[in-house]
Amino acid sequence: MPPARSYKAQKVIDRFQQKLNRQAMLSLAACVHCGLCTDQCHYVLANPGDPTYAPAYKADRLRKLFKAHVDWTGRLIPRWVGGRSVYSDEELEELKDVVFGKCTNCRRCSLNCPMGVDMASFNRLARGLLVHVGVMPEGVAVVAKDQWEIGNQMGVLKEDYLETLQWMEEELQSEYNDPSIRIPVDKRDAEIVYAINPREAKYDPRTIGEAAAIFHFAGENWTMASEGWDMTNFGLFNGDDELGAACAARVYDAVEGLRGRKLVVSECGHGYRSTRCEGPNWARRDLKFEMESSVVTMLRYIKEGRIAVDKTRNPLPATYHDSCNNARSCGMTEEPRELLRLVTTDFREMYPNRAENFCCTGGGGAMSMSEYAPRRLKSAKVKADQLRATGAKVVVTSCHNCVDGLFDLIRHYKLDMQVKLLVSLVANALTPPERRIKRRPLEGFRILVIDDEPDVRIYLSKLFEENGCAVTDAPDANQAMRAIRAQPPDLITLDLVLPKKTGEKLYWELKKDERFARIPIVVVSGYAAIDHPKIDFHKFIAEKALPPPEGFLEKPVDVEKLIETVHQSLLESRFSG
Amino acid sequence: MPVFEVHGKQYEVDEDGFLENPEIWNEDVARDFATTEGVEGLTDGHWKVINYLRSYYLQYGIAPMIRKLCKETGFKLNEIYDMFPSGPAKGACKLAGLPKPTGCV
Repeated sequence: MPPARSYKAQKVIDRFQQKLNRQAMLSLAACVHCGLCTDQCHYVLANPGDPTYAPAYKADRLRKLFKAHVDWTGRLIPRWVGGRSVYSDEELEELKDVVFGKCTNCRRCSLNCPMGVDMASFNRLARGLLVHVGVMPEGVAVVAKDQWEIGNQMGVLKEDYLETLQWMEEELQSEYNDPSIRIPVDKRDAEIVYAINPREAKYDPRTIGEAAAIFHFAGENWTMASEGWDMTNFGLFNGDDELGAACAARVYDAVEGLRGRKLVVSECGHGYRSTRCEGPNWARRDLKFEMESSVVTMLRYIKEGRIAVDKTRNPLPATYHDSCNNARSCGMTEEPRELLRLVTTDFREMYPNRAENFCCTGGGGAMSMSEYAPRRLKSAKVKADQLRATGAKVVVTSCHNCVDGLFDLIRHYKLDMQVKLLVSLVANALTPPERRIKRRPLEGFRILVIDDEPDVRIYLSKLFEENGCAVTDAPDANQAMRAIRAQPPDLITLDLVLPKKTGEKLYWELKKDERFARIPIVVVSGYAAIDHPKIDFHKFIAEKALPPPEGFLEKPVDVEKLIETVHQSLLESRFSG
Repeated sequence: MPVFEVHGKQYEVDEDGFLENPEIWNEDVARDFATTEGVEGLTDGHWKVINYLRSYYLQYGIAPMIRKLCKETGFKLNEIYDMFPSGPAKGACKLAGLPKPTGCV
């Protein structure tokens, strides 16, 4: 007669049978207990005398459930095949200790299993079963709650997030003495929508500033979203596919709402994996935009000559730590190395590396589970030995979670090393273009001024010519169209109030014409003629589903603002065209 | 419960070394915990940061955004990192007796 089963234990069993998929089933059935996984695990290496850390042993905690309830041999002769169900809440707590406290889901054992047992994916499954009945470390519960309720994992409020972005923008403008540096928010039709880890906004926004400087000097047409900006996803860590879907969908909605062409994810291993690789499945979405790690974006900028870097600014010996999610689960191993070689003078490989690298020991959400911190730090010995052997002074990674995991172990094992993200090294090596902005910032560009008032045409033409560009002008839409067809300009300034055909109509014609749609348009219009041209115009472009203009200035124009807007629009269009 | 021993005193802490009972905090706590966070000698600047974190925490029950901390204390971001080598979340918050911040830190 089996013992009575607790309510929660019964729920776990019911859920287990629902959530089993072919991948988990194969992994649960295939293990032959050969033991090859044993010395792949950083927990085992730090605790050689303790078999409870062995991946096969940990896997058997869930496997015995599988045998008892699913496998036919287990249902017939459970004792012979090690099948045993769960009955009490205490047993669930024991399972929690294993699946949250003795495994970081790093997948190193999975990669090295000859039978193809993906231990980490059913460890995640087991976490999900426990989370379903509220059994999880407190830190995991708090973070998951913040992601469900506030929409980001650190409970950052919208106004605080926006203020932080503005603050970073001001800091950048003063650092580079360049008022044209912007951190655009909710800009529509941008080439890139950039999503970050809330840790950046809450505690260390230096990386936001660094990324913004890189986008700026690359002349990128980019933006950040005011909602759906957190690309991290605790659904990956706590095994809750519904949370995984909710977090991913928020980011996708933001990109689609802004009609962005590409989502760029800042350096975060689990965020990258969740958003780019797992999210579309969790959220059941067919996405039309591309997704890319910022590592790839930065490398592209250097290769395409869009930013210049001076590697001698990063002279300290540097090594690279592969994040498990980036390298082992998403295959991003070469791009970060290529980038690192371009921005540092002394790169040293760490062994083993790439997909064989050891976990930072802070993975799988371990940084948020304080109760297991001593275990985590003990298991970090193998990582500390790896780091020490490189002789490097800087360990570079492309994951915020690894930054914190590595920081803790460096202190614990008294290594003399700093931890850096790639974005910090790239920003530090960045060589801003010559200060062309000051004198003749519009040198070499052709601008078409469209305005029905002769004195405005003369005024604007003179202003642009003084700033170095060639100007043509047109008093109405028909003449403008002829000029554009004859020789498309690099940019158009457009008055909305024109005789006969209005500026709105002309705008619509240009934007729907493939040949001219990419020419940036800065609207320069006044309040005098119509009551609220800006409101009407915005309504107009919304109704016609047109992209907004690159700039909108009211007469009388602020000269500095006009030049800056024109300059920025020209820079952005040069690279997005 | 782990115990942090320093200068003949004992503090109950969590596994990450953060003070278990934030209410027992006093200025000695900040001085004692400074030794673990690479802070040598608490200057007026350190106290300004610590006192702000403390008062914000007592009012709202969470750690402030770094934006608020810089704005209210007048320090630049890099100055905070120079003062507290383990950063605002792990370093400064620990000295101010706040619980460990949640999330990926």
